[in-house]
Amino acid sequence: MPIELTDIERLAQILERSGVDAIEIEESGQSLKLVMDTGARMAASPMLAAAAGPAADHSVIAKADVAGHFLAAHPWRDKPFVAPGQRIEAGAIVGLVKIGLLYAPVIAPAAGTVDAVIAETGAMVGYGTPIARIRPLGKISPIS
Amino acid sequence: MTTPDRPRISLLGTSALLFEAPGAFDLPHQRRIWSLAATASAWPGIREAIPGITNLMLTFETPPRELKTLITALNDGWDEAEGIAIGGREIKLPVTYGGEIGSSLKSVADHCGLSVDDVVSIHAAPLYTVFALGSHPGYCYLGGMDPRITMPRRQTPLQRSAGGSVSIGGSQTGVSASPGPSGWHAIGHTDWTFFDPSWPTPAALVPGDIIRFEIERVIR
Amino acid sequence: MIEILSVTGPASVQDLGRFDQYRFGVGTSGAMDDVALRAGNILLGNDENAAGIEIPMLPFKLSFGRDRAFALTGAGVEAEIAGRSIPPWWRSYARAGDVLTIKAMSHGARCYLTVGGGIDVPIVLGSRSTQFRGEFGGLHGRPLQPGDILPCAASTATIGELGIEPADLTLARANASTDETIVRVVIAGEYDGFDGPTQALFWRSSWKITPQSNRYGYRLQGPAVKPRVPIEKRSHGIVPGVIQIPPNGQPIIQMRDAQTSGGYPKIATVIRADLWRVGQARLGGKLRFEQTAYTDALAAEAEMSAYLDRLRTNVRLVEEIRACR
Repeated sequence: MPIELTDIERLAQILERSGVDAIEIEESGQSLKLVMDTGARMAASPMLAAAAGPAADHSVIAKADVAGHFLAAHPWRDKPFVAPGQRIEAGAIVGLVKIGLLYAPVIAPAAGTVDAVIAETGAMVGYGTPIARIRPLGKISPIS
Repeated sequence: MTTPDRPRISLLGTSALLFEAPGAFDLPHQRRIWSLAATASAWPGIREAIPGITNLMLTFETPPRELKTLITALNDGWDEAEGIAIGGREIKLPVTYGGEIGSSLKSVADHCGLSVDDVVSIHAAPLYTVFALGSHPGYCYLGGMDPRITMPRRQTPLQRSAGGSVSIGGSQTGVSASPGPSGWHAIGHTDWTFFDPSWPTPAALVPGDIIRFEIERVIR
Repeated sequence: MIEILSVTGPASVQDLGRFDQYRFGVGTSGAMDDVALRAGNILLGNDENAAGIEIPMLPFKLSFGRDRAFALTGAGVEAEIAGRSIPPWWRSYARAGDVLTIKAMSHGARCYLTVGGGIDVPIVLGSRSTQFRGEFGGLHGRPLQPGDILPCAASTATIGELGIEPADLTLARANASTDETIVRVVIAGEYDGFDGPTQALFWRSSWKITPQSNRYGYRLQGPAVKPRVPIEKRSHGIVPGVIQIPPNGQPIIQMRDAQTSGGYPKIATVIRADLWRVGQARLGGKLRFEQTAYTDALAAEAEMSAYLDRLRTNVRLVEEIRACR
């Protein structure tokens, strides 16, 4: 679905109305990043993507699905949602993306063991930014 | 304290405003309050005009940006208010004086230096006017009690007093519409129903109605 | 529908309240934290006045008869459904038969459960809120009990998880600490009946919230604040937020289930934009009062409605972004 100019205008209006700093949309072959001029800081989602490394092993990546600032823990909780080594179910929340007044969850796509939380709290993340690497269960090396 | 000769107007946050009339706690003043309530309830931005005892609370649908206009309107409204007669139905309330619910009958008698029978006949003698509704659903503030049976309110309120309790608090008397805490002295009770949310008008009595207590029984 | 499985304190069905029945002696009732109730309803796409369950004590447990979106707002709680942990101020979803368990409360004093469509008890005198004294509204006019079945209205709420930053954080007041809540008040009718040093004492003191604080009123403890001469008023109307000073000099803040009239002197009234903060102040915690002019109280209300507008727009925006994908 190509991104139309009218979409951009509409999104920009929505951003302005809602007080959201930035939004990032990536479709196959194109990407769009809108940043409101609020003196906002841009942390590097490309850098985070690099840090995630190629998923050459069988690990799966939990990705952000909206743009905003990453939170590893809910501000009312001491402990982060997940920590390396922790067993989690598919659908588990591995972190939050703060977008305006909202917290969008970053969801584990599969059950498994948390390998690493890649994103850092406070970092600006976008659509598709890798947040956590999960080693799925049940995909153990083939039987010899 | 001396009673001011001008009305007092004060704020209840941004939700409401309180108008307190100068003068005595009597029916002529209360009739002017009813009149002012009828006028003020039609003003823009006013949700309800609720009479109290010679006072009136206005709750805001939208709080006014500035209060001067409203204050002037209230003062003028009070000066122009002619006492109106409203309600006016006469209701007979059968009361059992004394007993478990009216357990303060004896202490009121002792406090006032009267016999139990005196207290009962003095209490049941007058026609009481419903001055205002308030406190809890269906409760009526009554005017007209004989000052000879005045008894100060309790220092510590009772946690629970029965619904239908006929009580004295200071120089006022009233009947609770439902069970709840009370700082008054219960001298009897009635089985009458004062409030039902399914009625078209949920409260049985309105300001201006007249109550006559009928002595059904005296438990000494 | 939902079924209550276990309750600890007086949980009740509440909407925003019943505001136009004072003349019959009927108080407002309604959610002690109206911001949290509205936020839950905004997350679910409900009318903001839709009824939810106010839960002041935990644990609390219920089961869902059908698939349904729900939200938990207000107090920060540990909650779990079908093995999933639910963060604070969160919209989640239940499958038919799922049991929601709400355990410890780490922040605030009242948690709100809202459901897609709203709790569909009958409207009585213009509201679904429980009127305890009158024994009507809510579910049979009483606190919820195990075994109670609550009907829910039809809903098109999105079944997807989404959270709101707790209002406590977004709307935090400067100088407020974790165990002291600062609320703005407008002075009331008898303020001038207290002398200067007593007025100063009222403002300066950090008031302790006693265990006798509830939906009827918050009873505070601190230095005695007494008028120059005893004041006894003729009975008059009062509203939630009014701070009365009974003869012992210990303030009482009238809350949602307060009587509709009173006669104690009134020193001030908590402004509407801050009353939810009192509703979330914990027993044993502290309250401090900050004097505000009427016009500033109106400005605070405008800010509150701007916050709620922004919340609505934010939810719509994220819903739209997700729908685009």
